[in-house]
Amino acid sequence: MSHITLTAKPVSRQIDCRALSPQALQGKTAAEISAIKLTKTLAVAEVFEVAVDGSDAATKVTFKNTNAQHAYMGFGMTAGQVIVEGDAGDFLGAQMQNGVLICKGNAGARAGDRMRRGMLLIEGNAGDYCASDMMAGTLGVLGNTGAQLGYGMKRGTLLLAKAPALQATWIDCGMHKLPFLNILYKSFKLLDSRFAGISSLRVRRWMGDMGGLGKAEILLIQ
Amino acid sequence: MVINGVEIDDTFAEAFNMRGTRVLITAQNLRWAYNAANAMTGFATSVIGCGVEAGIERELTEDETPDGRPGVSVLLFAMGSKVLMQQLETRMGQCILTCPTAAAFAGIESEDMISLGKHLRFFGDGYQVSKQIPDAQGRLKRYWRIPVMDGEFLTEETTGMVRAIGGGNFLVLGTSQAQVLTACEAAIDAMRQFPNVVMPFPGGVVRSGSKVGSKYPKMFASTNDAFCPTLKGVVKSELDPRVESVMEIVVNGLTFSDIAVSMKAGIEAACGLGKDNGILRISAGNYGGKLGQHHFKLRPILSGEVA
Repeated sequence: MSHITLTAKPVSRQIDCRALSPQALQGKTAAEISAIKLTKTLAVAEVFEVAVDGSDAATKVTFKNTNAQHAYMGFGMTAGQVIVEGDAGDFLGAQMQNGVLICKGNAGARAGDRMRRGMLLIEGNAGDYCASDMMAGTLGVLGNTGAQLGYGMKRGTLLLAKAPALQATWIDCGMHKLPFLNILYKSFKLLDSRFAGISSLRVRRWMGDMGGLGKAEILLIQ
Repeated sequence: MVINGVEIDDTFAEAFNMRGTRVLITAQNLRWAYNAANAMTGFATSVIGCGVEAGIERELTEDETPDGRPGVSVLLFAMGSKVLMQQLETRMGQCILTCPTAAAFAGIESEDMISLGKHLRFFGDGYQVSKQIPDAQGRLKRYWRIPVMDGEFLTEETTGMVRAIGGGNFLVLGTSQAQVLTACEAAIDAMRQFPNVVMPFPGGVVRSGSKVGSKYPKMFASTNDAFCPTLKGVVKSELDPRVESVMEIVVNGLTFSDIAVSMKAGIEAACGLGKDNGILRISAGNYGGKLGQHHFKLRPILSGEVA
C-alpha cells in the first residue's frame, strides 16, 4: 500500500480538499501531488507538505495538523484509507463511495453527507447535520453529535457511543443485541482507531429519517 | 490383500462429478448451531430422492467463525449447479432462517458464487438491511440483516460453489449385524476427523445399497441383491456362507484426494476390529466402471499408492 502524508501548513481560510481523495492521488509523485490545484489559484504545495512512501495500487492518505478549516476531506473516495490526524472541517467524507475514513479529532458539519458506501469513523465530535442525506454505509461517532443528526438519511448505519438529541423523525425501536455488530467490530479491530475497542453488542435502535425513506438506523452502543 | 484378517477385495468404488458448497452455521451456542445444521442436512442422504447430499463437516470454534460465535460447517453436494442452488435456498429458508439465533456464512471461496441470503432477504418485506463489511483480508463481504421475531437473522449474501465428487464408498461385510455396525461406527469416527468430506447417510452408514434397474419398469434402482445376506442361494450372491450382514459407507468430498484419504482411514478403522470380531471383508460399490468419472481402487488406496 502506498502511503501519502499531507501535513497541513497553518491556514487562515477554508481549504477545499476534495481533490485529495485516494483515487485522485494514486500513483502520483510528491511533486505531482504538490502541483494539484485545490482552487484556481491555490496549489497543494501552498497548504500541505507532501510525502509519498511506496507506489502500490491501494492508497492510504494521512492528513496531519488539520483543523476545522480543512473541508471535504475524503470527498467521493472510492477505495483505500484516509486518516485525519487532527480535526476536520465541513463535509468530511461527503459522497463517499467506498473505503475507510478515520478522523482522530472532531469533524465539522455534514460529515458523511450523501455517503453511499464505506466506513466513516469519527473518534471525536461530529458537527450539525451529521450523515445528512446519507444513502448507505456505516458512520461511527465516539464523541457528541450536533443538531439535525441524520437529516434526510435514507439508509445506512449511524453508530454512536453517546446519546444523540431526540428528534421527531427518528423512531425508537428499543434495545437489541445485534449479531452483525460482531462482524463490524472485527473489521474495526484491523484499524488503527479507538473504534477497535468497542465490544458491546447491545444497542438502542432508532429508524429514520421518517421525513424521507426512513430505512436508516441509529445504533447507540450501551 | 488382508488387513488384520480382513480380506480387501480387488475392486473399486465408482464416484461421480458433483457440485458442492460449504456453509458455516453459527448460533448462540453449539446446541442451536447443531439444531440448524441438523435440519439443513436432514433428508439429504441421496440425490436420487433428496436432490442434495449433505452433512455436517465439523464443529467450529468461536475463532473460526465470522461472527465469533460457536458453529458448525456443512457441506452440500448435488449433481448440478441448478439443483444445488435450489436446494441451498430452500434449506436456508426452511432450516436456518427458522432456527432461533442461527446465522449463515460462506464457507468456501470460488469464482462461482451462489445465493445464500441473496434472495432470502426478501423475507424482510422491505425492512431487510444490507451491510458491506471488510473481512480480515480487506475484501468487502455483503451481509443481510433480516428482522425476525427473535431479533435479527444474519446471513452472508453468497457462498462459493466448487466442483466436487460424490459416491466414494466401501462395504463392510461381517458375521453379524451388530459387529458390522460397530465396525462402521469406528470407520465413521475415523473419517469425521478429516476436512472436506461428509458421509451423508444416517450416522454415515447405509444398509440399503442399490443396483441399477429393477424388475418393475418404473423403478430405476432396487436392492443390491448380490449383497443381501438373506438372498444367498437365490440370486448370484457376492457373499460367502459366513456373511450375515453388509453395510456401506458413502463419502462425498471436495477432491479425489479428500475422499481417498478418508476412505483409507475408515477402512483401516473398520479392519481394526478384525476377523476375531466378525469383520470378514471390505468391498466397494460400482457400476462396472462405465458410469462414474472417478474410480477409488481399494487396494492402491490402502497401500498408500493413491491419495
